[in-house]
Amino acid sequence: MEVNPIVIMGALTYFAVLFWIGWSSRKASSDASEFYVAGRKIGPFVNGSALAATYFSPASFLGLPAFIFILGYPFWWALVGIIGGMPIATLLTAAPLRKYAPTSFTDYYADRYETKWMRLIAGIPTIIGGFAYVILSIVSTALFMMAILRLDFALSVVLAAVVVYAYIYLGGMVATTISTAFQGIMMTMASLLATAYVISNYGGLNGLTDAVLANSPHFFNMPYVTETPSHKLMSMWTGVVGFFFTWHFGFSAMPYTVVRFFTTQDINAARRSVFWAVILGGAMYAGLIIIGTGARVLIETMHPLMQTEGISSAIDVLKHMKTAFGVAGATVTDYSMIAAMESLKSPFLLAIITAGGLAMAMATAAGWTMVLNVLLGRDLLGKVFGNKWPEEKPVQCARVMTTIVIFVCMLFAFKPPALVLDISGAAFVVILCSCGPPLILGIWWTRATTAAAATNVLVMTFLSCFSWMYANSVHKTAHVFFLDKTIVTPHQFYWVFVGFIFFILVSLITKPNSDKAIQKYSLDLRPEE
Amino acid sequence: MFKGMPKIFWVGMAVMYGWCFFFMFLEMTIPELPLTKFMGVPACYIYNWIFGLWIVNIIVSFLYVKMEEKREAKQ
Repeated sequence: MEVNPIVIMGALTYFAVLFWIGWSSRKASSDASEFYVAGRKIGPFVNGSALAATYFSPASFLGLPAFIFILGYPFWWALVGIIGGMPIATLLTAAPLRKYAPTSFTDYYADRYETKWMRLIAGIPTIIGGFAYVILSIVSTALFMMAILRLDFALSVVLAAVVVYAYIYLGGMVATTISTAFQGIMMTMASLLATAYVISNYGGLNGLTDAVLANSPHFFNMPYVTETPSHKLMSMWTGVVGFFFTWHFGFSAMPYTVVRFFTTQDINAARRSVFWAVILGGAMYAGLIIIGTGARVLIETMHPLMQTEGISSAIDVLKHMKTAFGVAGATVTDYSMIAAMESLKSPFLLAIITAGGLAMAMATAAGWTMVLNVLLGRDLLGKVFGNKWPEEKPVQCARVMTTIVIFVCMLFAFKPPALVLDISGAAFVVILCSCGPPLILGIWWTRATTAAAATNVLVMTFLSCFSWMYANSVHKTAHVFFLDKTIVTPHQFYWVFVGFIFFILVSLITKPNSDKAIQKYSLDLRPEE
Repeated sequence: MFKGMPKIFWVGMAVMYGWCFFFMFLEMTIPELPLTKFMGVPACYIYNWIFGLWIVNIIVSFLYVKMEEKREAKQ
């Protein structure tokens, strides 16, 4: 498998557009308001496209097809759950938070719960999740670099980190919003084009389904109604429902999407941007379902490496890639989506797919890096510990933080701790069960208290991290209940619901916040009746 | 709790969750439902891939935007 000039040209064109956007917006990003929240002048379509590109990380683009490849049809419901969670955010958090118009994700916690220390407390799971996401974004960018340039994985990681760093450093939120909007359209087009290739290759949906069944007879099996499940993790309803809920509430409460509600012109634009994100994201996910469904049969019947070098299955193809390019850990499974596209033997398609994949990986890395550098610089160093540097030179401070974040994440990316979708699921559950209840109930429940917010974040961060790591190390998978490996519980998703119940119970027995804080940061943020 | 939340929010939630869990339940009780032909293709492409993933969510999202803009215009 050689380097293809068409694939390289596609990637170079994509980078040229991206750096043009970064370069033309470099003056705008010299001002703090522009750098952090893009001057609050982004329209609904641009913001919606940026929302989609940021939210749908490479965990989606590579990870979801890889999980359909592994788990079969029941995993389609996970994608339905992710898109289904998006409209909820329209009225639950997007409109109230735009009305409040903060600068940073932790501003709400500090204001609603009346202590600067909530910035630090809410920052703990955000830093854990944020670093995990930047790592998986660099890993994914590296996998696409590997597909384009046929470089060694370690060298691809360095190159990926440099590229991501360069454009965040140049542009801040202006560059990341505008270029991310471009990336949102790019990745949707890539996904839809790949879908058209796959469906037409089999002569329609019936042909695709027949080919999948001939290759994997249990692919469409759901739990309880057939003797053999599509995969052991899909042998009970908790597996299907658990994957549905793992990412479901993320659009409403994950910091990297919540901050994009701050950048819109007004509340109407915030609500409309969710609508556009659903249209673009839904179209892209429809494509990912088809790619994931066809991945195994495509690789096993058409991949250039099949029937050569002693390779006889899709897993053998991935093992070959792992050995040939030195891919570390389990992450080579994430290459299954790219391998499926390689099977179609179209350099044009591969060029679009790699550009779309790079778009997605870089958009997410940029979104999360912006969250982290504002959190580490302005919020923690400045607001919590009273350092003047973030206030006097905000852009310089944010850029130094960007440098640190990207460098640390690059070091972890050399040996990824898990599959990109597993890293993503863990980050989602940790943040949603800890920071989600104080954010959502802080807006919608006047009885939410500071003690409940602080306790919930600390207790749920510990419990979700511990149970995930325990299950992963002792039971060798994070998708079973940590106390009983016979029960399937993807990513220990139940903590999201436990977090809300725990938060309510602690709030009921602790002292409410002041009337002023409740009025300003809860009642005033709701729609006017 | 959730006082002041527009009624359309709960309607949208009922539509989205109702659709998903109704078909998920049917799939776990009726053998081979995903592969049963409907409109010439396996049914899962209709109720899951097109409607569950996309159309239902676009409708719910559109309702949230339009109904809120309409309500605010009345005020």
